Amino acid sequence: MSREDLKRGGRALLGLAGLLSLGACTPAPPPPEAMARTTLMTAPADLQLLCANAVTSSAGAGVKVLPTGSRLQPDGTFAVDLDAGGKKYSCIVDNNGSVRSVTPV
Amino acid sequence: MAAALLLAPVIVLAQTQIYDAKTRTWVDYDNKKARQYYARNKQSPEAFRRQIVTFRTAEPPGTIIIDGNQHFLYLVQPGGQAIRYGIGVGRDGFGWAGIVRVGRTAEWPVWTPPAEMVARDANAAKWAAGMPGGPDNPLGARALYLYAGDQDTIYRIHGTAEPWTIGLDVSSGCIRLNNDDVTDLHSRVQIGAKVIVLMQGAALYKGI
Repeated sequence: MSREDLKRGGRALLGLAGLLSLGACTPAPPPPEAMARTTLMTAPADLQLLCANAVTSSAGAGVKVLPTGSRLQPDGTFAVDLDAGGKKYSCIVDNNGSVRSVTPV
Repeated sequence: MAAALLLAPVIVLAQTQIYDAKTRTWVDYDNKKARQYYARNKQSPEAFRRQIVTFRTAEPPGTIIIDGNQHFLYLVQPGGQAIRYGIGVGRDGFGWAGIVRVGRTAEWPVWTPPAEMVARDANAAKWAAGMPGGPDNPLGARALYLYAGDQDTIYRIHGTAEPWTIGLDVSSGCIRLNNDDVTDLHSRVQIGAKVIVLMQGAALYKGI
């Protein structure tokens, strides 16, 4: 193996290492259907409605329950504020769709 | 296309962003960038295109859910799924939230601007007596008229002559889809379908 071959091999290895380190440090891109967002980190609509459904059983039949706000919590769950005919509720729901708690405010 | 001023809403400001695969970063997506994107690609970013998504809900199939903050309209389907469409919604001060229903629908609807819009917008004033349906009509190819009980809310889900505005906060309180999507939605929706409008920080619809 010539000195030139060794140089070429070294450069190739360096390039490969660079690519690998880039891959390791860069977060994976979101799937195409998730390549849009707003700076407001609200809960996904279906999770907000799962909270609304949970509040409906507390608020009574016939009361319209509407999510009015939501935010991501440090533990990865979402807090959802709800209005049930003027009465306010707070709900915690996780990403699996499990409602952790419903509390009158 | 509605007199949303009556609602005195307070919207929480939010900026739409799209993921730039070249730079691997989230970049702001405003009216200017949206126009450029549409001119280049002849369609909206992929996230705002019609697609089937997982949607966990107790609401029956046929229910329409509007997520005004994230610019998506969901039409609930059987089996924990929904058809998701990209939408444009009310600009700052024109958003609203509430539970309404589809009262009636129309193909290539006539657009009659409300009095408040006629008063503030010279272009709207030109059509105070009604603009015939067609490709330049702001209501686009189809309109779903939203009612609270038996009363017209003056809000609509409709098409648009400005398809690049999907994903943005641009309207006077109506929910706009591109014309292909609103035609698809119109073909699937029943009169009387429940419509849930979610919009963080917006006033709750309490009638006009």
